[in-house]
Parts: sequence; structure tokens; C-alpha cells
Amino acid sequence: MGIPWDLIIIQTVNGVVTGMILALVASGLTLIFGIMDVVNFAHGELFMLGAYMGVVVLATSGSFWLALVIAVLVVALLGAAMQIVTLRPLLGRDPLTTILATFGISLVLQNYALWQFGPVARKIQEPFTGRFNLFYLEYPYYRLLIAALSGAIIGGFWLFLKYGKYGIWIRATTQDRVMAQAMGIPVPLVHTAVFAIGAGMAAASGVLFGPLVGVNHMMGLDWVLKAFIVVVVGGMGNLGGSVLAAIFISLLEAYASIWVNPSQAVIASFIVLILTLLFRPTGLFVPTPK
Amino acid sequence: MSSTGTPIAPLIQVEGIHTFYGKSHILHGVTLHVGAGEVVGLLGRNGVGKSTTLKTIMGLVHPSQGQVLLAGQQVTDLPAHKLARLGIGYVPEDRRIFRLLTVSENLRTGLDRAGVTEARKQELLDKVFAYFPVLAERRSQAGGTLSGGEQQMLAIARAMMLEPKIILLDEPTEGLMPRMVSQIRQIVEALHGEGVAILLVEQNVPLTLAASQRVYIMEKGAVRHHAAASDLKVDDPVIRQYLGV
Repeated sequence: MGIPWDLIIIQTVNGVVTGMILALVASGLTLIFGIMDVVNFAHGELFMLGAYMGVVVLATSGSFWLALVIAVLVVALLGAAMQIVTLRPLLGRDPLTTILATFGISLVLQNYALWQFGPVARKIQEPFTGRFNLFYLEYPYYRLLIAALSGAIIGGFWLFLKYGKYGIWIRATTQDRVMAQAMGIPVPLVHTAVFAIGAGMAAASGVLFGPLVGVNHMMGLDWVLKAFIVVVVGGMGNLGGSVLAAIFISLLEAYASIWVNPSQAVIASFIVLILTLLFRPTGLFVPTPK
Repeated sequence: MSSTGTPIAPLIQVEGIHTFYGKSHILHGVTLHVGAGEVVGLLGRNGVGKSTTLKTIMGLVHPSQGQVLLAGQQVTDLPAHKLARLGIGYVPEDRRIFRLLTVSENLRTGLDRAGVTEARKQELLDKVFAYFPVLAERRSQAGGTLSGGEQQMLAIARAMMLEPKIILLDEPTEGLMPRMVSQIRQIVEALHGEGVAILLVEQNVPLTLAASQRVYIMEKGAVRHHAAASDLKVDDPVIRQYLGV
């Protein structure tokens, strides 16, 4: 049997597109874990709320881009409030308390969305519908735009972390919270800001991905599960590692689905997760300490 | 306990602090003071509460009783970041530099404060690079790749970025070569010359007695002795009694 090159190229494009969205979701998750040691089980619900906010603003204003901006801002503010009210008082306590707290928040947000929007999936209309020929497929330009925008958001955030005054505060706090305080960095404020940024990134991915799938109250679950795999494989708290791991996992699933059906292809991710935990629990994309 | 009066107005006053780690009672009513521009040594065996005293002053641990005053103002319950901005610099025992940040970025963590102009930032950087030329050479290098002595210099330089009124210096010579130890002593003297007060925790008794004006000796979480440094000698019975040297 010959190698199906056309399928491989199509699946590479699909894998990179999905990988970039996944990277955007996982970046927020890994950032929050890195700085606060909080495993945020409500991250998928912030993704879902972002998508719903996109639905509402798009229906009101008719502008996809306005919907994207407002969803990011509103969910970032919600994230900040969530951190101040529920996570800040639990900081430094047993990690189980924050896991339970975020799990509780995720249930509340899911049920709020169900109550507010009902069980029927909503649709976000993509901002443009152009397509190009990719072998026998008419491939939507919008998918490429998603990958480019996700890359731009992650790249912009990386530049902010690397060169911005507050970026250095975030990196210092991630490395040593106590010493950061002793250097005059307002660590509680940095935690809240990082949570808000992570929530905003999740919301952005929700709006961007909304046109590809239906928006419903359970949509966050799949993504958060995949994002957790990415965070573990990329190395907990490692932003660059998460981006690479997101693309790696998505490509792996995309290639696997050439030969098996997509629901079986997901197994490939879990195999990578288990192998990572067994043989390199610090993550595949973390440099080996010298 | 002998007492030594100080003619200098107290910058830091620690009054009867009791500090716990969980259920462990570490500090049992520590009282001490440091005058403006004064170098004060804090001696004692390992585990007597010297580092905890510094952490309590810095707001990294909050006392259950007692108070800390900075220039007469009550600061006992303030968080560490506010105390840093009020002029308390902290150089911890294990240096705790930000290992993945470059030397320049480590210094920037203390520089990027409200009200510090770009010109002032440059002045401060020039000053620490004059004190520690090796840091200028390594400014783009990650902190974690520096040698132990260089990391100690970076930790002190980083605290200097805050333009502190007082620096809490915890065992700065621990594990350093003799050449580095004498360099640290010169830095302490230079800071003293600039009017920066220093509360120096050390195991190195000769250095502490030489660098300090006054000395407190701690045992079992409390101050047991207080004297002018010039009144003590390395082989003083008091030193032998509390430090076993």
C-alpha cells in the first residue's frame, strides 16, 4: 500500500490548526499552574463562556472581531474575580482544596450556561467564508486564520513575558514567589493578572474555535482534557513546551485518524500521556537539567 | 543580658516578637533595634531563630505577638512587597536569585518601581556594576549559571536596586572562598559608608565583630546578649558560651 501523501498533507494542516487552538487553551492553563501551583479544572468552562460571550455579542453587534475582543475582556474580568474570591484565600493550602474549588466552579459555570442558553448548540458565524483547494478538499481560509491568530496571541504574550516590565514580574514570581515579594513585586496582584490573562486566552480560543463546532455548555470538557495532556507532556508550567506539545499531540491524532476513526485516534494522546508520566514525568519538552 | 545604649535613632525596632511555623514556636519574644546607617550583627548557633527574625522583619512570616516598627511606623502586618518598597532590602541565606532570569532581569525586578526615572535606574545600575564589575560582564547570562560568589554578589546588588534604608543580610559569606569573604566585607563597609543600615546574620564571628557596631547574640529563639562589637573578642567567654567557638 502506498503512502497517502495527499491525506498526510491535509492532516498536517488540520493538526497544526487544531494544535494552535489547543496551544492557546493550554498556555493559559500551564501559566496558571506555573505561577500559582493551581490545577484549574474550570479552564474549559472559561473557554466555553468565551464562546457563548462571542455568540451573544455577535448576535447583538454583528461583528465577529468585536465579539472576540469583548469575550476576552469579559472572561478575563470574570477570571480575575474568580481568582480573588475563591483561589486567593486557598493559596498555599493543600493542592486538593484548589482542585476541588476549581472543579466546583466548573460545575457552576456549566450549569449556569445550560440554564441561560439551553441544551441546543449555538453557532458562531465565521467572519469570512472563502476557501481554497487542497487536493480534493475545499479548505476554509478561516482555519488558517485561526492558526495564525492563535500563533500571534501566543507570540505576543511571549514577547510581553520576555521584555515587558510586568512580564519580568510574572517570570520572577513563577520562579520564586517569596523572593519576588521581597523585591517589591505585588505577588497577589500578579497572580490575579495571570489568572485573568489565562482566562482571556481561553475565551479567545473559544470564540475562534466556535465557528468550527457548535457552542454548548459541555464544549469545554474535551478541550480541558486535551489541554491537561498537553500541559503534562509539555512540562507543567512551561509555556514553550505546551505550544510544542499541543502541536505534537494534535499532529499525532491527525495522522492516527488516517488509519483509524477519530475517536480511536484520541487514544494516541493518552498513550503519549502515559509514556510521558512513566518515563519523563517532568515533560517531553523540558530541557534536561545539566 | 547586658545592654548597650545607642545614640542613633532606631530605624528598625523589633519588640517582643513571637513567631511560629505551624505549631513550632520559633521566636520567643525577640527584641532588638537597628539605628539608621548602623551595622548590627546577629550571632547564634544554627537553628536559634536568626533567619526567622529576618523573615519576620521582612514580612515573609508574620508574628503572633509583638511588633515591628520601621522609622517609628507600625509595619508588623504589612506584606513583604510593601516593606520592600518602604526601604527594607533582603538578601536571604540561600541567595534565591531568579535562576532563569538574566543578571540584568534579576536587577530589574527591583528597579521597575513607580517613581523611578530611567536616568535614576541607569545610575543605580552603574553603581552596582562599579561595585561588582563581574555582574556587568555577565549581565546577559542566566542567574543560575553564575558561580556561588557571583550569585551572592547578584543577591546583594539586587537588594541595592530597591535603594533600601536597611538591608537584612543573611549569612552572606556562607560557602564562599576567603577572597570572596573579604569582598563581601568591603561591600558591607561601602554600604555602611553610604548610610545604609545593615542587620547582619553570620556564623563568621571575626567578620561580624569587625564589620558591626553592635552585636546581638541569640539562643533558643531569644536574644541572650547585647553588646558593642568593640567590647567583644572572638575568644570572649560570652562568645564561647553561646556560639561554642
